[in-house]
Amino acid sequence: MNPPRRPRARSVLRAGIAALSATVAISASPATAVADSTDDYPIPHRMIVTTCTAEQILAAARDFTPIYYERYMIDKHNKSPQVQQAAIDSAHYFYSLNPADRRAYSEQMVTNFADPMTAAWPNWAKIFFNNKGVAAKETDHCADYPPDDQSVWDWSPAR
Amino acid sequence: MRLAKLSLPALVTAAMVAVAAPAHADPDADFANQLHGYGIYGPRDYNAWLGKITCERLHNGLDTTADKSAHFALINLPRDTTPGQSYQFVAAAIGTYCPDQVPVLTAAAARHQ
Repeated sequence: MNPPRRPRARSVLRAGIAALSATVAISASPATAVADSTDDYPIPHRMIVTTCTAEQILAAARDFTPIYYERYMIDKHNKSPQVQQAAIDSAHYFYSLNPADRRAYSEQMVTNFADPMTAAWPNWAKIFFNNKGVAAKETDHCADYPPDDQSVWDWSPAR
Repeated sequence: MRLAKLSLPALVTAAMVAVAAPAHADPDADFANQLHGYGIYGPRDYNAWLGKITCERLHNGLDTTADKSAHFALINLPRDTTPGQSYQFVAAAIGTYCPDQVPVLTAAAARHQ
């Protein structure tokens, strides 16, 4: 007479579930240590620590990443004057912060989709934050430019 | 600027040749071909943008001389670009995209003679 097979199958199943939940628990625990942002995302580290003003960074972009700058200016000029001014104000605000506050801003930036500036112009900070290579060139040279030359915001793009 | 071996009058002539060239459907293609003649390669669209921006900087007074334009071109062209090639780039850009700026080249030629 064969012994009943069910209890054995059940214990195998139970062991399987235990192993599976252990795996899930192990893989889930490191996730708690990972924040939404990293040292370079969404704002490159160089932009967190730079002492340049937004105007100095734009001047460096104009000379050292001219096509990126040109595209940003075309994009900017397609926005309403109010949105353009809001972008300028937002950039001034960001660069007025100390690195710790910029970092906090960065954390907030990745989670706050309701930010009115982002809603009005999603790429408003593209020239500052979106590209590590561009950020590197900008921060390499920004200190060579005057800190308050507002004309860098008003570049009229080539046709 | 190291221009001893560079003939600026020749650059002016090069720009004039570009101006006089028969109208082509795509000036960016003509520009690219001219650059290839100078050993300047790279993405065609990038170079065309750079040429147009070179003109834009002359138009709005950011760059006031061909020397400044050449410096701008030099820092944005590939690393192995020579100063001579940067002047050739500027001459080709002026000839293709802003012939009204030819006097900038002639002024540079006069200055370096």
